[in-house]
Amino acid sequence: MSHSLSSTPRETPAAGPAPIARKNNGRRPGTLREVWQEYRRSPRGMLGLGIFLVFLFLGLAAPWLTPYDPLQDQFLADGMARPAWMSYFPAYRMDPVTVDRFLLEEWDIRTADNMVVEWGERDGQRVMEVRTTGPGPARLVLEHAFEYRSNPPDTFILQVPYAFTGEGGATGQAVIRFETADGRAYDLWTSRSLRNQVRWTTQRVDSRDMQLKMRLGFRPLANLAAELINTQGEYRVVLELTANAGEGGEALFTLGESRFRIPGKLHGVLGADHLGADLWAQFLYGTRTSLLIGFVVAVIAVVVGTVVGIVSGYLGRWVDEVLMRVVDVLISIPFLPILIVFVAVLGKSLWNLIILIALFSWMSVARLVRSQTLTLRERTFVEAARAAGATPGYIMRAHILPNVLGLVFASLVLLVPGAIVSEATLSFLGFGDPRVPTWGRMLQNAKSFGAFGELAWWWILPPGLALTILAMAFVFIGNTLDDILNRRNQER
Amino acid sequence: MAQLVVENLKMYYHTRNGQVRAVDDISFTLEAGRALGVVGESGCGKSSLGLTLLRLLPSNGRVVGGSVRLGSDELMAMEEEAFRKGVRWKRLAMVFQGAMNALNPVLTVGSQIAEAILAHEKATKEEAVERAKKLLEMVGINPARYSHYPHEFSGGMKQRAVIAMALACNPEVVIADEPTTALDVMVQAQVLKAISDLRQRLGLSMILVSHDLSVVAQTCDDVAVMYAGKIVEYGPVEEVLVNPKHPYTQGLTQAFPDIRAERAPIVSIPGTPPNLLSPPSGCRFHPRCPLADARCAAEEPVLEEKGAPGHRVACHYVSKSGEVAEVKFA
Amino acid sequence: MTGAYFWRRVGYALLTLFVIMTLNFVIFRVMPGDPVSLILSPDFTPEVRQLLRERYGLDKPLWTQYLLYLKSMITFDFGRSFTTRQPVLGELLARLPNTLMLLGTSFVINVVVGVVLGIAMATRQGSRLETGVTGVSLFLNAMPSFFIGLLLLLTFGYFWPIFPIRGTMSVPPPTGFWPTVIDRIYHLVLPVTAVSLSGYGSWYLYTRNNVVGALGQDYVLTARAKGLTKREVLYRHAFRSVLPPIVTLIFLSLPGLITGAVITESIFSLYGIGRYLIDATLQQDYPVVQASFFVIALAVLICNLLADLVYGLVDPRIRLR
Repeated sequence: MSHSLSSTPRETPAAGPAPIARKNNGRRPGTLREVWQEYRRSPRGMLGLGIFLVFLFLGLAAPWLTPYDPLQDQFLADGMARPAWMSYFPAYRMDPVTVDRFLLEEWDIRTADNMVVEWGERDGQRVMEVRTTGPGPARLVLEHAFEYRSNPPDTFILQVPYAFTGEGGATGQAVIRFETADGRAYDLWTSRSLRNQVRWTTQRVDSRDMQLKMRLGFRPLANLAAELINTQGEYRVVLELTANAGEGGEALFTLGESRFRIPGKLHGVLGADHLGADLWAQFLYGTRTSLLIGFVVAVIAVVVGTVVGIVSGYLGRWVDEVLMRVVDVLISIPFLPILIVFVAVLGKSLWNLIILIALFSWMSVARLVRSQTLTLRERTFVEAARAAGATPGYIMRAHILPNVLGLVFASLVLLVPGAIVSEATLSFLGFGDPRVPTWGRMLQNAKSFGAFGELAWWWILPPGLALTILAMAFVFIGNTLDDILNRRNQER
Repeated sequence: MAQLVVENLKMYYHTRNGQVRAVDDISFTLEAGRALGVVGESGCGKSSLGLTLLRLLPSNGRVVGGSVRLGSDELMAMEEEAFRKGVRWKRLAMVFQGAMNALNPVLTVGSQIAEAILAHEKATKEEAVERAKKLLEMVGINPARYSHYPHEFSGGMKQRAVIAMALACNPEVVIADEPTTALDVMVQAQVLKAISDLRQRLGLSMILVSHDLSVVAQTCDDVAVMYAGKIVEYGPVEEVLVNPKHPYTQGLTQAFPDIRAERAPIVSIPGTPPNLLSPPSGCRFHPRCPLADARCAAEEPVLEEKGAPGHRVACHYVSKSGEVAEVKFA
Repeated sequence: MTGAYFWRRVGYALLTLFVIMTLNFVIFRVMPGDPVSLILSPDFTPEVRQLLRERYGLDKPLWTQYLLYLKSMITFDFGRSFTTRQPVLGELLARLPNTLMLLGTSFVINVVVGVVLGIAMATRQGSRLETGVTGVSLFLNAMPSFFIGLLLLLTFGYFWPIFPIRGTMSVPPPTGFWPTVIDRIYHLVLPVTAVSLSGYGSWYLYTRNNVVGALGQDYVLTARAKGLTKREVLYRHAFRSVLPPIVTLIFLSLPGLITGAVITESIFSLYGIGRYLIDATLQQDYPVVQASFFVIALAVLICNLLADLVYGLVDPRIRLR
């Protein structure tokens, strides 16, 4: 019979049902305060809320809690560096910490022979211009000294960006030398004889370079960094520039920001991953992703579930039958494998993931809302509205919806942990969005890139435990709300 | 012969907020073959009394004093296993409040009767089944329905089946806790009649717990009126109901429509039963009693025989000779 | 139970299966653009493509393709895998025993441990032991199952390397019957533990809550009053009345086990159906994925049907006349 009513004009129902709806809304703030009064008495609920707030803070404050980008900033430290605080344990006290020097301003001039240093600019960057001041041979030796106080490192990397201009037949040569604390010196790189114009290049010296090792007289598999930096003391990086300006020529070296790095085996709050990216940053931004996914999925699922539940419960008949069959089937499908298939077909983007997880999460809400709607449908105020000529759409919106909101709120919270864990599982299995840092991805990387062999528990435990604790927090909050709201519902 | 003697029985529930004195210093004697009615408002401890006698208390309920003698055995001091095997149901059976839920919905009615027999007697399965069928027949149920499930029985049939179950081991005493509450009036009458008939035939002693004076009046020989964990009036049914002495009993009898009186107004006792966590001082009824004075609030009246033989009352306003102060409730 | 009830259930199941099969067809053939690029490798020459189109029936109209697809699904003819060129059905069957062994063992452990523990703890409600067990179960239940697997791997595979970290048997495999069996069990210990630890919790919590509920029922009080022993009260009355939903749940949760297989097999690198599905998906091996989808849907429907029927048998109240 409600179908025949749908043709009545929209204005008519407003007179009857509106006051009831307003009365409901009017009571809401008071109810909310009551709910909170009751909520705060539950230790379980407050524990869950506290945990949630801590994670919310971590997620929101991520940019202030870490200077690094979780994915872009790589090679901050040696691959799989331990957390910095592990230096408090005797076994790791002497582990190398990162030495990372930008040398442009830090060069000391050891010798300047017929050469002068000036400052210039190139592409908006400051550069050092080294020029011969007269005819004949010229030599400039730049050095940078640093103290090294740890165990021998695994790697060092040096990059020197430079360009050369030789006018009037001037030639030049550059040498990168390394002087150890115990007085040895190694020429790590010697340029060919430079003439005319040598375009801007960056010379890289990597201690893992096998040819370099052999040239210096080490075995190809030797640890060059450890052979060179084998004791504590003062080390020097030396850049020697020689030139011959000839009779009337002029040689010009242009030096950019040189960088010397020894990636440490100790880094940051949670260490570094296999690429030397900061794990603490990944953890923090992962918190952000998890909370985002959890809430967006829950909201979508609740909206879909509520609409389906109300429509199914209120309209009944074949609509109900069809919708509930769909719910039955979806609810019993093992959704992870199906999700994997869908993600593979549709693509691994964060929003695909969110929508797909939501698509498999709304059924419990629909059932709950439907059963509530079935009882509401028989209540006097609904019958009054129907008698006053309200359309089914209006009744569902104005009468049923406000009365199921409380119920739905608890299930919203209870949907969050499932969504978070689902996303983490998908990411762990390799179906996550590669552009987004998540806890699941941290664990996938840990599994794929050897964290287990290294027993890198600081990499494995934080994301996993965070998932567990956050999931539990939502269960605590949701159950507490459910207790309060559902009891309230029964009392009414 | 005294079959069941209860003396100074005290059972308290220990809750987070303190002790709930549900059964507080209760004494009575049940003679063989007689029926004692226990009446009172809900929450006065009458159901707790039944559970205490069968020692089926929840984990926070504790018997803190007094004795219960069944024949020559002291029940409260017995070993649990001996009590379970030898007394519970075998000598002291119970018909529970709300028989609708007293039957397990996933087991057949007959098997639930038979299992009581098997728990206490060395009977074979077949004998137990045979006896269960006889019991069903005795309460007027076709024994062919032995293997039917509770949901296939009507309310009255379920109640009768529960009664049959109580009789399974030929107990000496049956405690019936609100046996007719959930039933409609016609069925109530049938069930009460069945109980009375069986009692006469089998010579059972019975304690009938009810909030309904008319049920007690119909089936019992003696009545104990309970208020806030205590017995306030005790005596033969006719005596107590015709000459109620305690103001509370008077209130109850006035609340109960008298079919003989043409148009007696139905009155109720104002106020609510006291919170047993912190019962009122002195006479526990004094906050609701129209007669109450300073003495009632200070001094607890003793349950003693006043006036007619066997009629005991706990009230300061009833004189030794049994003169009653007439009470009118608004 | 009447025939009408049974046949209505079967009818629903068949209808649903049909809808799912259609969906399966739509997802893989119609949705993401050109079906040929999806099903055929882009490396093929146009001639080969045309040949393959004809062989797979892709040159025919969509309607005919759909009918062909239905026929092939119903006859379990899932075609050949793109990557291994082997028939998909054969590949699935070859992996089935390992998966069944993993899931069967852990499912039995889950249900038995969860239900027994649930009954035991229901009678000790509020005690320290019960609080502890429930707390641990809640924690394990909240923990993502893949993380439980990872923790086991870290602890017993790497930190104390007492169990193998990958595979279903040693390489090279031992000879002889008993050594083989023992080797298999040895390799199953960690995966089975992982699935059980993540799965027993829900059985435990469900059983405990329901038995606690049943213990508060009047009929349990009656049973105690009858002088039955604690055991009889607990098992014959309290547990018996929560048995029907548990039995139903056993059937309903069967299809969901594949999730555990997917996760656990990929963590412990087991040769099973779960990992096959993941690998196939990652390698865009669509015939395999499509077949898996179909098999899972079929399993769901059969289990739902069984659950319906069994519930009718276990719970006398449902027995329809």
